[in-house]
Amino acid sequence: MIKTLEQLLEGVVSGILAHLNSLLPPLIVAVFLFAVFLMAAVAVRWVLTKVVKGAGLDRFLKEAGLSNMLADRGDVHTTPLVAGAAFWLILLAGALVGLSLFNTQLTSRMVESVVFLLPRLVTAGLILLAGVWLAQLLSRSVLVWAHNECVPAPRRWAVVAKVIVVMVAVVAASEILDFAPHVFFAAFVILASGMVLAASLAIGLGGRDAVRQYLDARASERESQEEKSLWNHL
Amino acid sequence: MPAEARAAVDHLRRADIVVGIPSYNNSKTIGHVVQAAQAGLAKYFPGFNSIIVNSDGGSKDGTPEVVTSAHLQDAQLLMLHTPLKPVHRLSFPYHGIPGKGSAFRMIFQMASMLDAKACVVVDSDLRSITPEWFDLLIRPVVDGGFDFVAPYYHRHKYDGTITNSIVYPLTRCLYGQRLRQPIGGDFGVSRALFNRYLERDDWETDVARFGIDIWMTTIAVAEGFKVCQSFLGAKLHDAKDPGADLSAMLQQVTSSVFLLMREYQETWRIRTGSEPAPLFGFRYDVGLDPVNVNLTRMLDAFRNGAADLSGVWKLCLRPDTLSAITALARSGRPDDFHLDDELWVRIIYEFACSAKSNRLERATLLKSITPLYLGRVASFVIETANLGAAEVEGRIENLCLAFERMKPYLIEIWFGQPVTQTAPPPPARTELAERQEV
Repeated sequence: MIKTLEQLLEGVVSGILAHLNSLLPPLIVAVFLFAVFLMAAVAVRWVLTKVVKGAGLDRFLKEAGLSNMLADRGDVHTTPLVAGAAFWLILLAGALVGLSLFNTQLTSRMVESVVFLLPRLVTAGLILLAGVWLAQLLSRSVLVWAHNECVPAPRRWAVVAKVIVVMVAVVAASEILDFAPHVFFAAFVILASGMVLAASLAIGLGGRDAVRQYLDARASERESQEEKSLWNHL
Repeated sequence: MPAEARAAVDHLRRADIVVGIPSYNNSKTIGHVVQAAQAGLAKYFPGFNSIIVNSDGGSKDGTPEVVTSAHLQDAQLLMLHTPLKPVHRLSFPYHGIPGKGSAFRMIFQMASMLDAKACVVVDSDLRSITPEWFDLLIRPVVDGGFDFVAPYYHRHKYDGTITNSIVYPLTRCLYGQRLRQPIGGDFGVSRALFNRYLERDDWETDVARFGIDIWMTTIAVAEGFKVCQSFLGAKLHDAKDPGADLSAMLQQVTSSVFLLMREYQETWRIRTGSEPAPLFGFRYDVGLDPVNVNLTRMLDAFRNGAADLSGVWKLCLRPDTLSAITALARSGRPDDFHLDDELWVRIIYEFACSAKSNRLERATLLKSITPLYLGRVASFVIETANLGAAEVEGRIENLCLAFERMKPYLIEIWFGQPVTQTAPPPPARTELAERQEV
């Protein structure tokens, strides 16, 4: 009994030792490399923070209105953004190099898929970013227009505009990434159809009142011209 | 310049005075304007070689025919066609006629080629214009050595509220000249100044397209031309479309003023205070139609704006300004409503800075001023309900002084640094021994 247990334990320990023998050297090297990449990333971030002033780019972002998209008060500085992006890219490269040292099927597949996914990931990210920016721009425009035109519930109209644009961006990004594109597209169609249905119901149900109010307003306008003078602002 | 205009210049060769009347569907009023111009030139400038130029932008209501029928034989009348570009047809200005900038450009080009001493431009929708207007707009240029004659109208206290609350105080505080009607639309211009206008390359921009009046005035005052005003009495003109989009109108006016602020930032940065522009003409009181305003609607627009648009205003206004507006929107009864001068000045200054930075959203941001403007007008109406014309003018003067007093704040937020160097308004370009009352 004891002998059997000893044999089993020996087998396990020898298995572990064998794995350690094969994995420990690449693991140590990977950790070392990752540490080197981490140091390089920190150094690059520091250098970029010190060297890149980015004043011109800051001004461009501000004048184009992009700063306000990234931060509410528009206090966006490109230097930390660029430095941060460089830091994370170097760190990701370190992780991939470390993984590739193990030379197993799993790690090779992981590295390969990350390398192949990266351009699509960047493209999808840019599409999402552009979508969010456009949505922000459009929703503000709709909000101001709806308020000035006395359209009821202007904030809701602004949210609707924003949701539609963001949804289009999400569908496009999911297509690029090939990540459940049909699900997102179906969700978008359902959402858009729901909005159209809701709008149709609202117009249908509220139409009678709106027409009556409009006719009343026309009649009272004809009776009194007092409002005209209000518009002579210049 | 079109061939017909060039041919006319070749034929005429020289003129002392050019009167320009741009038009677009003004058949009801333009006959009166042309006759007033002819009578004015004949009565006050008989020894001068004068020409009236009607530049029509493709009217469809028979405006050219009316001009022809109003034409007297003893005056030179030129009828030209200003082709409206597609952009003019698509984007009509809410003040002035479409393509007014192009029409003015052609009129100034003709005046320049004819070597005219003075050029006058008047709106074609005027009902109160008289022959005396031409004397008042031309004489200071011809005999007084002035380069720019702005109109000075007698207006109801609630009339011209964009001028009173934004354009006049801001132009005065920036450039140091007190021109009471900077966007009046009827101006007298000297040879030196219209040649300067023609040198510029921004005729095709939005400023010249939508804000030709403030563009002309700003160039005159910012570049140190000698300016004055002439009292023309009341300005009665065809009623604007009552359904005209106020927010678009505000956006066009403020956008023009703010864009010019950017161009002349180094000029206004060092100017402090303001000086009165000479005023010609005999001032008299005119009976004015009562102006009724709907206070409740204006206050509702302000309060709803504070609820709906604070997210947009946050992009333009400083936190303390925004919180002051929010507090005001939540406060008490309509009778107590008061949007004070300093808060209004801060709002305008901060929007000006925001328009400078946010190119893409400039139009949206400037349209969001509408509820704030209506709040300011409501406050002004409440404050001046029982005041006479002189007292109301005093209130406007106080607002202008607030604009001037707070100019260092504008410099600070515009340039990102406190004011260091200041200078009084510069002397006028044209030297003249003494100012002459006409």
